[in-house]
Amino acid sequence: MTSPPAARLYDVRYSRHTGPREPRRRSVLALARSSATRALGLKRTPGAKVWPFLLLAAAYLPVVAAVGVPLLAEGVSPSDVLAHQQLLGLLTPVVIAFSATTLPSLLTRERRDRVLSLYFSTALSPAEYVLGKVLAALALVAVVGLGPLLALFAGTVVTADAPLQQLRDDIGDLPGLVGAGLAVTVYFAGVGLLAGSLTAKRVFAVGGLLAALLVTPLVSALASTESGERNLLALDLSQAAVRAGATLLGGEPFEPDPPASALVWAVWAVVVVGSLAVLAWRYADPEDA
Amino acid sequence: MTADALRFDGLVKVFGDVRALDGVTASLTAPATGLLGANGAGKSTLMKVALGLLAPDEGQVRVLGMDASRHGAAIRARVGYMPEHACLPTDMSAQDLCLHLARLRGLTRRDALRRASEVLFAVGLEEERHRLVATYSLGMAQRTKLAQALVHGPDLVVLDEPTSGLDPAGRHEMLAILRHLSRDLGIQVVISSHVLDDIERTCDEVIVLAAGRVAARQTVTGTAAAGPVALQVTGDPAAFAALLHERGVRASVDGPRLFLPDGSPAVLDAVRDLAAERGVGVLSLVDGTRALEDAVVEAMA
Repeated sequence: MTSPPAARLYDVRYSRHTGPREPRRRSVLALARSSATRALGLKRTPGAKVWPFLLLAAAYLPVVAAVGVPLLAEGVSPSDVLAHQQLLGLLTPVVIAFSATTLPSLLTRERRDRVLSLYFSTALSPAEYVLGKVLAALALVAVVGLGPLLALFAGTVVTADAPLQQLRDDIGDLPGLVGAGLAVTVYFAGVGLLAGSLTAKRVFAVGGLLAALLVTPLVSALASTESGERNLLALDLSQAAVRAGATLLGGEPFEPDPPASALVWAVWAVVVVGSLAVLAWRYADPEDA
Repeated sequence: MTADALRFDGLVKVFGDVRALDGVTASLTAPATGLLGANGAGKSTLMKVALGLLAPDEGQVRVLGMDASRHGAAIRARVGYMPEHACLPTDMSAQDLCLHLARLRGLTRRDALRRASEVLFAVGLEEERHRLVATYSLGMAQRTKLAQALVHGPDLVVLDEPTSGLDPAGRHEMLAILRHLSRDLGIQVVISSHVLDDIERTCDEVIVLAAGRVAARQTVTGTAAAGPVALQVTGDPAAFAALLHERGVRASVDGPRLFLPDGSPAVLDAVRDLAAERGVGVLSLVDGTRALEDAVVEAMA
């Protein structure tokens, strides 16, 4: 007679994890992806999606219209209806609104909820955190700052009578197009994160950023009018990125008599480098978490 | 005895004129160690230094055998932290939060999903895991904080006031979970608390901090196991002591009480048998060592 098998109780609810760990870059990308999707309102309440997607629609509406015209009227190209320079000018208010209302919350929410102590103690270094947020911000602004330019380019090629020939003709414009989109993307990602890094309250960040972007046009226009120096318009922070990007595009500028390109790029560089420096400084010390 | 979970050598941390840590030297090797101290004793500062959230002004920290100043990433991967303060994103569910933090700590998406479900089940949040954290009670939020600390399968978890704000039932359940971690799952646990009872019920060793220094260190479970006992009986205590002597049990008389230096089960059996034979009533039989509470109170004074 054999002895009965001994009963054994297993706790199936929890076990130690001994599986593989992914490289650190995957964690940074996971943070970037999660941050970007939440900023768009995904995995959140329906109300949180309305504003970001409204702005996305506003960014692509001119492109849709421009690409739609050739389908109705023969012999018209989308680039005839809407030049890239014009599109860049049209995108400016949308990118400002999108950056000001969406990007600060990438940082303010976690500072408000005091999640940073969890991140910095057991998940990410401050440098990894900042890198993840920068990637998220770049991805978000690229959707409204670079995406429509590329969509217009693609629409022009696709709706042409000879798409391949059109592509061969236009391919030379692509680097300038991407460069212009990136100039806008990097600039607004920088200022959006700068605003978000300075406070835990989203409303203050949004208000501060909008104030800076809306007051400098008035001040620079006033200074330019008073002094008669056209180049002072380069101090308009709301237009700095678009003016810088426009220098990379061929064709007619979207505004008559723009300020000197070198000055525009200098303002662009100061704002971008300054924003990233402040961002790095704000998260250099995990003690602040 | 397990490897050092934490080791502090001459740790000093100064905030302005306040020396929050004043030369703390200690090695935490027990499966579960309690850090006990009054508010401002340096418990939270010590934990933040151990977790890399604060840099010490002097001294060294080793976490799981690694130098904290040089191996931050490796340490982060093996440590879980449950802060005392509210630290949960209010617009996420517990499931999403655990999944998110597991991904940030390097787990694959599949592992992160599985682990998130496991830990939320383990802390009793399986039914509520898809609700937003903003709608949680304090007890549920505490459980979520614990779940996120465990989701990546850490070797060491650092818990800052884990029962803070819990009702008696919630506190009892939380303490049971914490004891389960070190006793059954082999996770080294460091618990900060100013509630002695919490430490006694969950830890194997207690370190008392006072004014930024280690004021006392004592084993929790060893105090009441086989140490001396104090006995009070009906009738003449001296006569009962003499009878115990005849049976080979040493006992000294201290006023109305008898003091037995050996409180082993055999001695206690002898006391019980003698009392039954002689019809003597046992009024009290208590731990004769200086109680942990006495030691803690003295150290914190």
